[in-house]
Amino acid sequence: MKLTSEEVNSIALESRLILTENELDRTVLYINNFLDMLDRFKELDLKNVEPFSFAEVLQCPLREDKIIPFADTEAILNESEHVDGSYFKVPRIMED
Amino acid sequence: MELYELNLWHLIMGLQEKKFSASELYESCKKRIDSCEENIHALITRTDDIAANQLNESNSGILSGIPTIIKDNLCTKGIKTTAASKILGDWRPPYDATAWKFLRNSGALLMGKANMDEFAMGGTCEKSAYGPTHNPNDLSRVPGGSSGGSAAAVSAGYVPFSLGSDTGGSIRQPAAYCGVYGFKPTYGMVSRYGLISYGSSLDQIGPFARTVRDLQIIMSIISEYDPMDSSCFREKKHDFTYNENISLKGKRVALVKEFQDFTLESPISEAMKRTQKILEDEGAIIKEVSLPVIAALAMSEAHTNLERYDVVRYGYTVNDSAGIKEMFERVRSEGFGSEVKARIIAGTCLTEPTRCEEYYVAATKVRTLIAQEFARAFGETDFILQPASPTLPGKIGDSGHDSLKEYEADLYTLPVNLAGLPGLSFFTGYYGDLPVGLQLIGARWSDTELLNAGVIIERHTGSPKIANEGVK
Repeated sequence: MKLTSEEVNSIALESRLILTENELDRTVLYINNFLDMLDRFKELDLKNVEPFSFAEVLQCPLREDKIIPFADTEAILNESEHVDGSYFKVPRIMED
Repeated sequence: MELYELNLWHLIMGLQEKKFSASELYESCKKRIDSCEENIHALITRTDDIAANQLNESNSGILSGIPTIIKDNLCTKGIKTTAASKILGDWRPPYDATAWKFLRNSGALLMGKANMDEFAMGGTCEKSAYGPTHNPNDLSRVPGGSSGGSAAAVSAGYVPFSLGSDTGGSIRQPAAYCGVYGFKPTYGMVSRYGLISYGSSLDQIGPFARTVRDLQIIMSIISEYDPMDSSCFREKKHDFTYNENISLKGKRVALVKEFQDFTLESPISEAMKRTQKILEDEGAIIKEVSLPVIAALAMSEAHTNLERYDVVRYGYTVNDSAGIKEMFERVRSEGFGSEVKARIIAGTCLTEPTRCEEYYVAATKVRTLIAQEFARAFGETDFILQPASPTLPGKIGDSGHDSLKEYEADLYTLPVNLAGLPGLSFFTGYYGDLPVGLQLIGARWSDTELLNAGVIIERHTGSPKIANEGVK
């Protein structure tokens, strides 16, 4: 086992996820199986290999730097229960 | 013959020649959905009423009056879009996905949003917060996934064509399981704007239909350039027009050497042999290419893509949390299914600073090697023939016991996404009641040649029949 339950649980908390006991057991198995599979990469010589990118994308296509207001901001705000005027409202971030 | 049984090309011709009306076609498809949906459950949301309103709008596009269904990870303005997850709640996107916009502008009527594995993570269509879809050829079996609802809907005759998305085989495998044609275009061919992302550098939208010609019609509509997707390539123009005078004479079709040692279920290996014979009879040269493939990258992108579900701006939410951290934790833990959580955690794990170089960066380098392998192979061959899956569809409830076996099955489809290639899943015949499909892969931007090859194969195999097991 590469990762213990405690380690996986702490990664889950970084991802803002709280796992049930069953979910934790399943995820530990899942990640360890997966890491074992990825260990096969070590058989390859990757020293002079570049990370992947699509050859056609030599540069990111850019649009003109011009503000285009979204036509229907009302529709966006209507989808949230946490709205105050034209703002989204979130719980306090700073601790006391 | 009922109208819902006709394929897309015949429906377009019939409507243009006024042999029947769009209303008659709509009623026929609606009745078909009514009679099968309870048993198949291909849809998360039915939108017959929206389609009925569309009938009253005038549209002279090629798809005017043609009913369709799209996967529920494609945004539809003002219409609930769930990606089969609880976390999006009753979210109604304020905009349309470009691929759907192109279809809508061509006159297509939206009959429903198709079921799928949650956030497209799965290969059986069982991992949906809305329950599993059943295979219309055998209700005890899965339709494949993740675009299982889209494939099942076309197989059962709900609509003549549908849209799905393919990150690691999610169009090609369910097409084979349900007995329809499915096409995953070259990465960059179809705009992904409005597609709820899984692995952004792997995802591609594509059609399902009951003939290859029908796939060509849809590809000609959805492959238009879209400035809203930076991976959509402007320079490429493609002609998907159906052409009778095509030939495979002298074309090279390769089998992958390394896959010869893998175990296939006998109906699939038999279909491989039959298809080789068809290709040889058509003048193609069968050969072998070497392609040592290793899979796995999608998860690391998934964890980044799913970080946007912050519970504030849309979707499932809670109102009584003490602070922002508690709010995120509660909603994400309650809103995501177990499979999605496991993949998010795997992605976080692989991209942490301590493991990033060892695993994630190594994976992106392996991806370069895979793309180079394919590029070399397509110097020696025009197409690669291989299964879309090593097995026939399994029983509902049987999957998920052996995740390594599932990764192995992905080896037939995922490398195509890693290299951004096009792949056609095609029907070869039946084994008992179950359809058997295979896959033909081409070089990047060879989509039109690939579909032409599919047209020739279909002349030998015949088109699949509509599956009737779901009828009440």
